[in-house]
Amino acid sequence: MYMKLMIMPNSLDMVKNMIDKYDAVMIGIENLSINMPKYYSYEEFKEMYDICKQNGKEVFVALNKNMHNKDLDYLKEIMFKLEYLDVSGIMYYDVALVNIKLENNLKTSLVWGQEHLTTNAITSNFWNSYGADYTLVSSEITSDEVLEMQKESKSKLIVTVFGHLPMFVSERHLVKNYLKTFDLKDNSEINYIENSGNIYPIIDNDLGTISYSSHVLNGINEVLKFREIGINYILLNPFLISDNDFKIVLDLFNSVNGDNIENYSKQIEEMFNTDYGFFNKETIYKVKKND
Amino acid sequence: MINGINELKKNIIKKPELLAPAGDIERLKIAFHYGADAVYLGGSLFGLRANAINFSLDDIKQSVEYAHSLGKKIYVTVNIALHSKELQDLENYLKELDKIKVDAIIVSDPAVIEMAKKHTSLEIHLSTQASTLNIEAVKFFKKQGVTRIVLGREANREEIKNIIDETGIEIETFIHGAMCSSISGRCVLSNFFTLRDSNRGGCSQICRWDFNLLNEKKEKLEGEKPFTFCTKDLSQLKYIKDMINSGIASFKIEGRMRSIYYIATIVGVYRKVIDNYCNQTINYEYNLKDEQILRSCANRDAVSQFYDGTNDHTCQYYNGREEVSNQDFLGVILEYKKSTKLAKVEQRNYFKIDDKIEIFGPNIEDISFSLKEIFDEDMNPIEIVRHPKQIVYFKVDKEVYPNDLIRIKK
Repeated sequence: MYMKLMIMPNSLDMVKNMIDKYDAVMIGIENLSINMPKYYSYEEFKEMYDICKQNGKEVFVALNKNMHNKDLDYLKEIMFKLEYLDVSGIMYYDVALVNIKLENNLKTSLVWGQEHLTTNAITSNFWNSYGADYTLVSSEITSDEVLEMQKESKSKLIVTVFGHLPMFVSERHLVKNYLKTFDLKDNSEINYIENSGNIYPIIDNDLGTISYSSHVLNGINEVLKFREIGINYILLNPFLISDNDFKIVLDLFNSVNGDNIENYSKQIEEMFNTDYGFFNKETIYKVKKND
Repeated sequence: MINGINELKKNIIKKPELLAPAGDIERLKIAFHYGADAVYLGGSLFGLRANAINFSLDDIKQSVEYAHSLGKKIYVTVNIALHSKELQDLENYLKELDKIKVDAIIVSDPAVIEMAKKHTSLEIHLSTQASTLNIEAVKFFKKQGVTRIVLGREANREEIKNIIDETGIEIETFIHGAMCSSISGRCVLSNFFTLRDSNRGGCSQICRWDFNLLNEKKEKLEGEKPFTFCTKDLSQLKYIKDMINSGIASFKIEGRMRSIYYIATIVGVYRKVIDNYCNQTINYEYNLKDEQILRSCANRDAVSQFYDGTNDHTCQYYNGREEVSNQDFLGVILEYKKSTKLAKVEQRNYFKIDDKIEIFGPNIEDISFSLKEIFDEDMNPIEIVRHPKQIVYFKVDKEVYPNDLIRIKK
């Protein structure tokens, strides 16, 4: 089965200039999305959408922030607008989207995208029964667990294989709070936090604070396995990656095969500060047993 | 006239449940003793505090029997992010909890809700881990058969009121304790830094670590103290009246890993305040002394944060990783003999002759005095009580009761 390559575009130029290097896009909308490399107005999104559709590409939309009551009117407005387009899926974190879809009989599919919680097929199937035809799989499970999910899941799975991974989302303004507390001036669009020699991107914007992994996930070694077991989409995130470098990465992922995989992996390692995320590292569940 | 108004108010105001944490049976008993209406605890499976001692099924059974004998309730957390392999054991675990007659399970994963509905008659509460903050999400979970929702900590006063008014579902909110700096469920710092899974009970509190903050050129921004994610604790004491009036069904205290002193103090203070407002008087007033007692037992600042919208730099904590352990808690009353006025005490922190102490408990007014005599187990006079769990005796003029606690008087 053909495994599609999805990107989260960080500019209109990326959508245009790399059109032959991807199959699908996941686009963030201002004030409704989080953990995306960039957020767009509906009009900007529509421009990208039109280009993608003219070129036979799939379009997904991420409306994946946690919603407060005050967000619901705008959320519904956007969801209703998307009904008139050929959008493959709307990614949600907040269950409000599921209820809005159900109560308004909306036809657009959903993507279960609760980030770190998308860890098993049974829950994926639960959401599938409420219209989530896709699941964006948690980046904190092993590739073996991805295989387990794939076996049992009714939804099409999307697996992140490249980019800085989101580690933390808060509605608090942690960078601004620090600057204010210690009377510091800084207008950086992006900051970093440093611990034990590693540097982690941290962004404080209108919605709060997001922090990302220090290393770039290099999952190219897993791609052939994912293709073989029938994973539907792999996702690549260009956050903090230059367009030139991202083009090279897309070329590598598009042409990877059994003969070149080792070389391609090394090439990515040489370009960025990479690791393999949690594909081969199981996190600890129980740290103390008492019975 | 005032009595008449109080009676009228009692009829209108619904007294909220006071819900306390317990990390083991000792703390559970203390929580009930000090006035909790219900206790939530984690089983040794599927709870979000894997490094607490946690309860075996036998412990849970014993706890439920104890709670029900007092007319109180036990809720069990089943709120981890489940991986495929754990789901195999979950059905049996839920059936066991049903058999034991726990009063509710606290879940975050809708697959658990579905499984519980299919195989048990357990009541289901939605965990704060689901970060529910709006009417649409509440409506969805209500349709799923959830009877109570623990709202996300980011909900403010108007949102809470609006959700209660529009959906009619039971709402539970936190009133006291540590706050996640992140949106619940959206932090995996622990996974990245220590390989411990924060959404499966392994949180290693990386939010309290120190970091250098750098600008976009990766130059260090020199604050007086290092950057942390860490926030102050939550205290809703000054808003209790407001929260009761808004119709919140349950007031939750955080802290399954906290000491008995912490549990007793926090539960005791909130019990008194809730009862005072609901039962006693229209002249209820927020009391600064109560606030000081709450703060002293945690050794951490506590503020309201999202509820009243003061979610700004004043909520942050930059004290580094050092936290002074609480030395205020001196001991536990084990027995009291009216004939001799001697209290039998188990030591928890160093104390000595001439220390000013205070005894507090759910059935007494606080008793303060200076220690003039202390005796060891053989009734020999001693000057200093320095050994952990040392048994000593001293005189208390007024009657005290087992599980009353002793703190240093400040």
